[in-house]
Amino acid sequence: MDWSSWWETYSTLVLSIGVYGMLALSIYLTLSCGLLSLANAAFMGIGAYVSAIITLQYEWPFAVALLLGTAAPATVALLVGIPVLRLSGVYLAMATLGFGEVVRVVLLNLDITGGPLGLNGIPPLTSGWHVLLALACTIALLQAMRRSRIGRAFEAIREDETAARLMGIATDRVKLLAFVLGAAIAGLAGGLNAHYTFTLSPGNFGFENAVDILTMAVLGGIQGLLGPLLGGAILTLLPELLRGLQEFRMAANGLILIVVVLFLPHGLWDPGRFRRWLKK
Amino acid sequence: MLKLENLSRQFGGVRALDDVTLTIPPGQIYGLIGPNGAGKTTVFNLVTGLFPPSGGTLEYDGRSLLGLPPERIALRGIARTFQNIRLFQEMTLIDNVIVGMHAHLPYNFLDLLLRTTRFREIERKARTRALQLLHRVGLGPLCEELAGNLSYGNQRKLEIARALASNPRLLLLDEPVAGMNATEKNEIMSLIRSLKQDRLTVFMIEHDMRFVMGLCDTVAVLNFGRIIAEGKPAAIQADPAVIEAYLGQEEPA
Repeated sequence: MDWSSWWETYSTLVLSIGVYGMLALSIYLTLSCGLLSLANAAFMGIGAYVSAIITLQYEWPFAVALLLGTAAPATVALLVGIPVLRLSGVYLAMATLGFGEVVRVVLLNLDITGGPLGLNGIPPLTSGWHVLLALACTIALLQAMRRSRIGRAFEAIREDETAARLMGIATDRVKLLAFVLGAAIAGLAGGLNAHYTFTLSPGNFGFENAVDILTMAVLGGIQGLLGPLLGGAILTLLPELLRGLQEFRMAANGLILIVVVLFLPHGLWDPGRFRRWLKK
Repeated sequence: MLKLENLSRQFGGVRALDDVTLTIPPGQIYGLIGPNGAGKTTVFNLVTGLFPPSGGTLEYDGRSLLGLPPERIALRGIARTFQNIRLFQEMTLIDNVIVGMHAHLPYNFLDLLLRTTRFREIERKARTRALQLLHRVGLGPLCEELAGNLSYGNQRKLEIARALASNPRLLLLDEPVAGMNATEKNEIMSLIRSLKQDRLTVFMIEHDMRFVMGLCDTVAVLNFGRIIAEGKPAAIQADPAVIEAYLGQEEPA
């Protein structure tokens, strides 16, 4: 099989690996400062719809569409985050899940989003290098943050929020930063996703997708950036490799999550475990 | 330096602190002792803003601390350690200490993204200073270990190093030598003496009487949420009310 026919067959899959890598990184960002937020599927949806409406109905340039598709969910996250981030643990998970449902129902009932039919015939503007560039920028941004006072603040908050505050860390602002930045990354991923799948419907961004994204990060591990990328790639490829199990995809995801949490509590990619192996 | 006036705190119907008035003078090592459950840690929690007092005032350097969140109080120059150690267990020793400097690393988001000279310079200096602090508490050689792997005594030392990282002028130590052996206690004693020489004010809670009496300039005694005595260590040791409330329990005459 030559390159162009291979690409024709598998381009959607390859682009999805990149897009879901970004989504896994977006939830990694909130997880890395101890926030269990399940709003990223909704932020992805907002980004996807905003950018698709812009290219479809206004025919503005793709770059503008992606930019607004990134900015819109970030703005929503800023407004939602201020009250919601007072919660933590399961309560935050519930609140963000509730927010996700609100977004889904709004997308389902607006005229501009096409209601239950969704949007169709979105111009296929996303090419490989767009996804690659977006992914590279995301990785560079997160890597720079990790090795700075912000990354250390994230980690400190995750381990002991009270102690972190007493070190002079304005935890409210740091958590809001993680939440908003995560929303922006998820929105950008959504915008890119919309422009190679041709269609969007509200069902793409509901509970199921929120759990998928979480599974990717937990499966891969959140000790570093490679974990979420690995998790995103595996869970994107898995249904293709196990086509026979298609209907059981959610069940398989759940099963994998249980097995990983039981036997590999830090996920597949755990530098600490690798170090311990080397020491032996 | 630190002034507590008529400070009280209730938890439900329980008066944990009742009308506590204390003044910690600058440059002193000030000890707060009292039986278990007397409310000593509650004093620290109020001073560091973990929860608000039910009544009374708190003043630091002539300005009220009331209503400030913990992170703002930390910026005013107050640092603390915890009775039940609260380190960042999965971070290295050096990173624990650098977290303590968080508010004193003046680079912005752009510096961080672009790894500017300014960024690298500030981070390099922070590392150097963190290493110095670790050496000062005797943990220099362990700087790349994870905090969770340290022995109990060493974890207490690391907490002190982390608290010092924010360059405080008032240091609150909550049972700094609990669970330590005699050698470690002596190390901590000379460390606290050297802090005093650096003009740091130390306010500490401790159960070890030999340690408190040997180190503190002034000692206050808290019993059932009330201050029952305050004065020089020798006077406190001779105070009948204190002996009855506290020392008497340990060594029945």
